[in-house]
This record gives sequence, C-alpha cells and structure tokens, in this order.
Amino acid sequence: MARAVTTNRKITMTVIAWSIGFLIFFPILWTVLTSFKSEAEAIASPPSFVFFDWTIENYGIVMERSNYFRFFMNSVVISVGSTLIGLIIAVPAAWSMAFVPGKGTKNILMWMLSTKMLPPVGVLIPIYLIFKNVGLLDTRTGLVIVLTLINLPIIIWMLYTYFKEIPVDILEAARMDGASLRNEIIYVLTPMAVPGIASTMLLNIILAWNEAFWTLNLTAANAAPLTAFIASYSSPEGLFYAKLSAASTMAIAPILIMGWFSQKQLVRGLTFGAVK
Amino acid sequence: MASAPAQADFKTRLQNLIPKLVLAPSLAVIFLFVYGFIIFTGYLSFTDSRILPSFNLVGFENYSKLFRLSHWTTSITNLAIFASLYIGISTLIGLSLATFLDQKIRGEGLLRPIYLYPMALSFIVTGTAWKWLLDPGIGLEHTMHLWGWTSFHFDWIKNSDYAIYTVVIAAVWQSSGFVMAMFLAGLRGIDNEILKAAQMDGAGNWQMYRRIILPQLRPAFLSAFVILSHLAVKSYDLVIALTGGGPGRATELPATFMYSYTFTRNQMGIGASSAVIMLMTIAAIMVPYLYAELREKK
Repeated sequence: MARAVTTNRKITMTVIAWSIGFLIFFPILWTVLTSFKSEAEAIASPPSFVFFDWTIENYGIVMERSNYFRFFMNSVVISVGSTLIGLIIAVPAAWSMAFVPGKGTKNILMWMLSTKMLPPVGVLIPIYLIFKNVGLLDTRTGLVIVLTLINLPIIIWMLYTYFKEIPVDILEAARMDGASLRNEIIYVLTPMAVPGIASTMLLNIILAWNEAFWTLNLTAANAAPLTAFIASYSSPEGLFYAKLSAASTMAIAPILIMGWFSQKQLVRGLTFGAVK
Repeated sequence: MASAPAQADFKTRLQNLIPKLVLAPSLAVIFLFVYGFIIFTGYLSFTDSRILPSFNLVGFENYSKLFRLSHWTTSITNLAIFASLYIGISTLIGLSLATFLDQKIRGEGLLRPIYLYPMALSFIVTGTAWKWLLDPGIGLEHTMHLWGWTSFHFDWIKNSDYAIYTVVIAAVWQSSGFVMAMFLAGLRGIDNEILKAAQMDGAGNWQMYRRIILPQLRPAFLSAFVILSHLAVKSYDLVIALTGGGPGRATELPATFMYSYTFTRNQMGIGASSAVIMLMTIAAIMVPYLYAELREKK
C-alpha cells in the first residue's frame, strides 16, 4: 500500500528506519571491525571506528590456538550431509503429495509439520539412549542422522509448497501427448522443480548449520561443529577483546555470507511457507 | 502405450502405486522417530527412571514431584515472563519496522536484509555476542566508562532479578526483523483501492490504521504469535550461550531444566515428565492453528 505522504514525513521516516537498521547491525559490524584491530586499539579510548591500523594477526593466533578447521569441516559435513540425505528422502514424498494427492494428504502434511514445532526435548532421551548403545554419540554420522530426521518435515513441507506452484496444466498437456511417468518427471517436472529444490537446500543447510540443541547435547570433542566452537569461546578470556572478536567473526563468517543470499528462503521456511 | 493389455494394466497399477510407495519412507521415519519417541518419553515419565531408563511404573509421582520443585517453578515463571515480553515486544517492533518500510522509504532494498540479518544467525551466536555486549566488565558499561560517562551502570546480566530481561533483549534483537517480514508481507497484501476510498471519505491516518489496516493484518498477527511462542517454549541454546541459566537459577527455562535433570542430576523420570509438559504446551498452541490454517487454504 502506498499512501500520499508529505516529503517531510518521508524524510523523518527514512532517517528513523536507517537509524534502527544501524542499531540492529551494530553488534555484528562492531565485532567484525574489532577483529581487525590490535589488542591495544580494541580498548583504546575513545574507540576508533574505521580509522585504525588494520591487522589480521588475531586471526592467525586464533587459528593456531584452536582447531578452527576441524570445527568448520564438521559443520560442513553435518549440514550438507543431512541436507542431501533429507532431500533424497523428501523429494519423492513431496512430489507424491503435491501432484498425486490422496484424501489424507492434508492431514499427513499437518502432522508432519507439527513435528517441526515440537520441542526437541520430547525426543532427546530416546535418541540419546539409542546413540549411547550403538556408539553414535559424538560422531558425525550420528549428527547427520539426527539432523536429517529433525529437518525432514520442514524439507518436505517447503518442497511441497514449491511444487504446488508448478502449473498442473503443463503436466496434463504432457500426459495428453502420451508422456510416460518417467518422461514426465525427467523432461517436464524436473526443470521446473530445480529452483524450489535449490531454495529448500539452501534453507536447510542454514538451519542445520545453526542447529545448536542437538550439536551441543550429542557431541563432545570429535564431531563438534562451529556452534560448539562459539560456545567454547563464550567465556571471555581475560580482556582479549580483539582475539575474541576474531574467533566469533570466523565462526559466523559462513553464515554472514550465506545469510545474505538466503533471506527469502529463511523467512519462508521459518514461517512455514506463510510468507513467500 | 503397450499393445499387450496385461502389461499395460500392470504398468498403470504400478504407476498408481508409486506415489504411495515413495511417500512411505518419510512417513515411517517421521512418525516413528517423532511420535514413537514421544510416546517412549511419555512412558518414561511414569516410571522411576534415574540414571538409566527403568520400566517400573510409579503413576503420577514424577509429575507431583516436578511441581513441588522450586527449580521447576522458577523455570516456568521465567518462561512466562520471557515468552510474554518476547512475543509482545517483537510483535510491536516488527509491526513498527514494517510500517516504516512500507512508506516507500529510500534504500528499502538494502535496509530489509539488514533488519533480517540477525535471524540468519544461530541463537548461540546471538547469545555469545550479547553476553559480551552486556558484560559490565568488557561490554556496554565498560565502553561508556571509557567514553567518559563514568556513572553509567548496566549490569542486568549479573543481577538475578534482571537477568531474564537480558534474554528477552537478545531474543528480540534476533527475531524483530523476521516478524517485520511477516507484517510487511501482510501490509503489501492490503488492497490500495480500499485505502484510497477510505481516504476520500475523509478517514484520518490513525483511523485508517486502526479500522482498516490492523484488522486486515489479523492473519499476520496470528502466525507471528504461533511462531514466536513455539520458539519461546523451545528456547535452549540462547540461554545456554547468554547466561548458562544463571546467575544461580535466575534464567533457567523448562528446556534447560529438562536437560539438567535428565543428564546432570540423573533424574530421567522427572526430566521426561517436564518434557511432556512442554510438549503439551506447544500442542495446545499449535494444533488449533495448523488445523485452521489447513482448512482455510483449501
């Protein structure tokens, strides 16, 4: 909706909106800037905003002292692995519900989606006990399994809403022309489904990357991803401001980059498709 | 298709069966691993399980124990405070931000991603960042002192009466932009013609807002409420990173209670019963909403 607003009001609104934006962004910006300062400069009074001697020595020190790459690789394996396995299970299921719906499809979807909103503590005990018995605690495999299970409902649901946007007319036309189910899927459906699948993939990688309840509770030293790395830094070591900032910048850098490109998917996913 | 009718028949039957076959694994996995496990948790909540699961039924003993624990009452009181402030403030800020952005202000394309940025972060990151910002020794208070405002005082995170509000601050920071996106979508969906007609009939800005815009946003309010409330009940990582439940038990929430009773204090039965209470709380909010949502759509 656009209303006639006076120029003055518009300028005021713009200024307020940008100030709020700056306020929201400030903690992130400040952390990133501080990570490039020397320790002395980080606590200098008055603090310098961008006019200081930029240095990357903090990053070197943090890398040396902590096993950043192991945490990073764990995050990559866990989030990408669980997303790919999830997609393999979910694509056929979503396809089936979107294009060949039965009487119970709506109810099935509702029950599936409801599982994503339930608190994970409800299934923590059985999963923990099983993992302990079969030796999956603190393993990447274990986390891939859990995150696949936990995120499967949201993957199916997102794929379903994307598939629903594909016009059925085209499929019917293909069927009229005598295309078999196989040909229909390969030549007609797949090209139109790829964007939706890609969006779902991106969304789910971020959800899995950010997952902390399961990663904190089921890992110790071996399989811990970046969320655990951040948590381990959360007790400030003395006043090593700049190093602390470098560690957290490294921890969030992948999310900062992915987050910029995936906001549409995130909003859609977190609202369960309510906001497209 | 094929010339032999029998073969064709088999093929059609197979084609009709495929949709059900490919759906089956997902259904099995989700229902077994979520609802099956919930039933198991529910069962454990009626047993005397401690460090290991036991199958010795004790009736409602765990539940009556649970509600006599001051630790648990603190957790649910904290959840009540946290959830109501978190939902209320996020909704208010989100709605205001959406209203600002809807004025066709300059640079909206850049501003929107900035508002949304915190949402892309993990609650662990948010908690850690705010832990430093709010720490009187190194964060805001320290910085203000360095800048010469030596009387500035802000140590809520160390104060057991106020620590729960720092959890609210961090959570609101994370979610406001996301709530904004929900309301903005709602605002953009309002028909311009109605607003123009109202304006011509002499409706003032405030009147238009109250009588036309807010009622039209009802669906957005409802989804915001449901999504924020389930996030609130599930809150775990934010508290772990921000305060660790402390100082003392000042910011303990049901999810952190459940974890500490089950695994640290080895009271699995009581832990399971607290999980069941949380499950029921969420179900009470969620089931009616999902039901209405799905009925509306088709």
